[in-house]
Amino acid sequence: MKSEDAVSQKKPGGLKFNRRTFIKLSALTGVAIGAGQILGPAITHSSDPVPPGAAAPLDEKWINTSCINCPARCAIKVRVAGGKAVKITGNPLSRVSEGKVCPRAYVGLQVLYDQGRVNFPLKRTNAQKGKGVDPKWQPVSWEEALDEIARRLQAIRQKEEPHKLLLFSGLNTRSSEDMIARFAEAYGTPNLVSGDALEAETLKAGNWMADGRYGDVAYDLDNTNYILAFGADILESSRPLARLLRKWGKMRREKPNRTRIVVINPRYSLTAAKSDLWAPINPGTDAALAMALAHVIIRENLYDSAFVSRWTAGFDAYKKLALDEYSPEEVAKITGVDADDIRKMAREFAGTRPAIAIGGREAVDWTNGSYTAYAIACLNALVGSIDVPGGVIYQEGVKFSPMPGIAEDGIAKKGKSQPALDLRKTAKYPLAEVVTNQIPESLLKGEPYPVEMAIGFNSNFNMLSPGMEKWDEALRKIPFYVHIAPFVSEMAFDADIILPATTYLEEWAYDFSPPGSGFAELKLKQPVVPLRGKNRPIPEVIFEIAKKTGGAVANAFAGLGDNAEGFVKYRTASLLSWKEFVETGVWIGNDYEYRKYERLFATPSKKFEFYSGNMKALFAAKKLAAAGDLSFLPHYGAPKFLGEASAFPLVLLPYQPLMVVENGSQNYPWAQEAFLPMCGVGWQVFAEMNTDTAKKLGLKNGGFVWVESASGKIRAKVKFSEGIHPEVVAMATGQGHWSYGKWQTGIGVNPNEITGLDYDSLSGQSAFFNTRVKVYKA
Amino acid sequence: MPRWGMVIDLDKCVGCQACTVACKAENNVPHGSPEEQKERRDFFWNKMIAATSGRYPSVKTELIPMPCMHCDKAPCVTVCPAEATYRRADGIIVQDFRRCIGCKYCIVACPYGARNFNGKEQEEKEYSRHDLPPDRKSWGPWPFPTRTHGVVEKCTFCFHRIDQGLKEGKKIGTEVVPACVEACPSGARIFGDLDDPKSNVSRTLASRDSFQLREELSTHPKVYYLPK
Repeated sequence: MKSEDAVSQKKPGGLKFNRRTFIKLSALTGVAIGAGQILGPAITHSSDPVPPGAAAPLDEKWINTSCINCPARCAIKVRVAGGKAVKITGNPLSRVSEGKVCPRAYVGLQVLYDQGRVNFPLKRTNAQKGKGVDPKWQPVSWEEALDEIARRLQAIRQKEEPHKLLLFSGLNTRSSEDMIARFAEAYGTPNLVSGDALEAETLKAGNWMADGRYGDVAYDLDNTNYILAFGADILESSRPLARLLRKWGKMRREKPNRTRIVVINPRYSLTAAKSDLWAPINPGTDAALAMALAHVIIRENLYDSAFVSRWTAGFDAYKKLALDEYSPEEVAKITGVDADDIRKMAREFAGTRPAIAIGGREAVDWTNGSYTAYAIACLNALVGSIDVPGGVIYQEGVKFSPMPGIAEDGIAKKGKSQPALDLRKTAKYPLAEVVTNQIPESLLKGEPYPVEMAIGFNSNFNMLSPGMEKWDEALRKIPFYVHIAPFVSEMAFDADIILPATTYLEEWAYDFSPPGSGFAELKLKQPVVPLRGKNRPIPEVIFEIAKKTGGAVANAFAGLGDNAEGFVKYRTASLLSWKEFVETGVWIGNDYEYRKYERLFATPSKKFEFYSGNMKALFAAKKLAAAGDLSFLPHYGAPKFLGEASAFPLVLLPYQPLMVVENGSQNYPWAQEAFLPMCGVGWQVFAEMNTDTAKKLGLKNGGFVWVESASGKIRAKVKFSEGIHPEVVAMATGQGHWSYGKWQTGIGVNPNEITGLDYDSLSGQSAFFNTRVKVYKA
Repeated sequence: MPRWGMVIDLDKCVGCQACTVACKAENNVPHGSPEEQKERRDFFWNKMIAATSGRYPSVKTELIPMPCMHCDKAPCVTVCPAEATYRRADGIIVQDFRRCIGCKYCIVACPYGARNFNGKEQEEKEYSRHDLPPDRKSWGPWPFPTRTHGVVEKCTFCFHRIDQGLKEGKKIGTEVVPACVEACPSGARIFGDLDDPKSNVSRTLASRDSFQLREELSTHPKVYYLPK
């Protein structure tokens, strides 16, 4: 004890940590031997473990390219030795991620050399489709596959029904995205569906209400002193992740004022564990908390009155609403966050400037999500954190060489005049750009019209979407489905033809990150190893299909470079020389310019709006019934849950851990064995529950349970946790694959199997967190 | 002679495990499987552990990335009957695979769980990485893609990088660092000479409160942690 006290005086934090934490380790390694027994003189050897000269440096080079194991698309460099990629690391020339990458970038080697990849086109010979039904794949030549696809595409256009072609776009490079969008335009279908509405479209809608820009904002993390994260998993699933990881280190210890970070989330996430304060909140009530913070900030006169009076509109209505309806005491009842804590949080947020409020999935992927996102956006305006150092900033785009306009024919015009299958911009989803999860519902009903054919580009929506079994059903109803990806994902399993795409390490492409840096940065993708098998990059497949389809479709792709490399050259010619791009792998735009208020806001008042004029105009244009002024103000509306609280007392919270590789496969051992860092294990998914709740239900820690909702049940091990809201069951997404691969098949379960279908009605964003469940022993 | 050491800043660490995965890629440490993890037979040269304390809602989880501590008084060295594990003059504790008899005494002796027994069979497919070319000579200056089974192995502070760097006259700690240090996106890891007062590690340790894991065992680890 004596020595402990001595150390304790010197380093109190250190020792406490020591003793408590490492008891566990001793258990792991057997009985630790006492210090006295083990000390001895150091032995020195003359030899190294491996004889010198055993491995002389040979043919080796580093190639600058970029990653796409998640949508952040970070710049990487790849070490190639003997024609094989053997190591991946960050490209130091990138300013977005400052030369750093997240661990998923390293997993790229296993993506490239995945033993389960498809190397030649496959054709289904078993007409019956379904999970567990052998498609009886038969290898076919590219020529045969493409001819059949083109023949069908021509037939649909001959019937003048190009809208009956449905295109799915999963995680693709920006160059592939541009090609796919152009194909949809020229062919004449409004039905190009991305997975965006499975992410956080609500944030875009919230921003649109506030500043008129339908999109994600960026955050100036270099200069901020305070972060209030509403459900935002900054260190796990937010984007661009590698930049956020790098900036976290900067915010904590590489600036004079250590940035304080507060996380609001029903789950003690990894981000919460690394933050300064975790505030658990009742699920789906973040808007109420945001409004209560506004209440305190306005009441105590802590807001930035100069910014508010000069560059905002509608403050009086917002002020009245916040003061009348959202006192900390009232909101404490809704959110479960103590009234005094709310006051403290508000004073800190307004008093530690520049401060940023960040919204993320657990806060906004709800039926009331757009208004929650709006309420969070308004907090930033209250403290003047709009387009200033340390505040919200606005992502600048890359000015590519433009593509020539498309000379569309009458057929294309006719097709594009049809309503989209996902009902975007209709009264059901008035603001939506895309409603990914409406597709299975529309397909199953055959409304507004049935489809003839679909093509999926790297998509795997039947794993990512809530109520995923509907996707399986719907996909099987599509008369002819073509899937293009490097491997047979769950969605590919329902295909009639599979075209083997290249991975990102074998193809030419350009890419840029989602909003985050402010300044623009373009990244190159170039082949680092020779092609395996007969795989082809997506742009080349589109060039080929367009040519074979002929007519206006073929014309739209003439003179664009003719192949993937040519296309990238064509599009980037305006930016830098090809030689330079190939060498550096990145192009970086001008430094970010702050305070562009005169040209920032796309609102009727040309200011930041606490009372949304855009929303008012939308309601009028679409003849929607407004609930008075409330429809145009940020506010809290109680979230809608799926399932009765009496039968299903808990709320399911599916969360995305960092190691989910977002390309539609998880067949990567490095990602799998480090899958759940907060639980210290991998290769599985737990039903994580509050200890007291689980004990009341008579469950045993580590025992198997059923998690059951109104739409189904899944089996998992229960894990008791002190970091889960008592009414919540948290489960990681990303597992439960069944289509291929030794390292993913049969591992874990997918909580999307039991989530129900629901939406934020404005943006079309799928609600992920409002499914009620019950848990019982299996 | 330098004395190489590492500083891990737990305030900057983001718990992403880039260190863990980068280490596996650099040193060709075989990946495990669900069964091996269940039986604790999967292995890591660098691993992040989670230690949770407290009750809801005042819970606290510490995420601690752990390479080998390269103790100045290393218990593993003392117990090794074959003198297979030893301390280099620069303080790095290394394992001579040719001498190791696989007795695992060192695994029991190590208070940090830093050592792993490679029990994988040669014929196991996952034993060597299928992404590496078959010709071993093309594996470049880093020797460790070569693997030996039936022996104990562990983190080497990427001595192959250090030795190569010194040969090329590069500055260790800035120009050349272990793979985990290079990989750390938040900049939480620093590597350098503990005996050089002007090195990054020494200056950081002088400026901040720090601790070592299980200091009470007097193993004198050369990996230091900076608390939040």
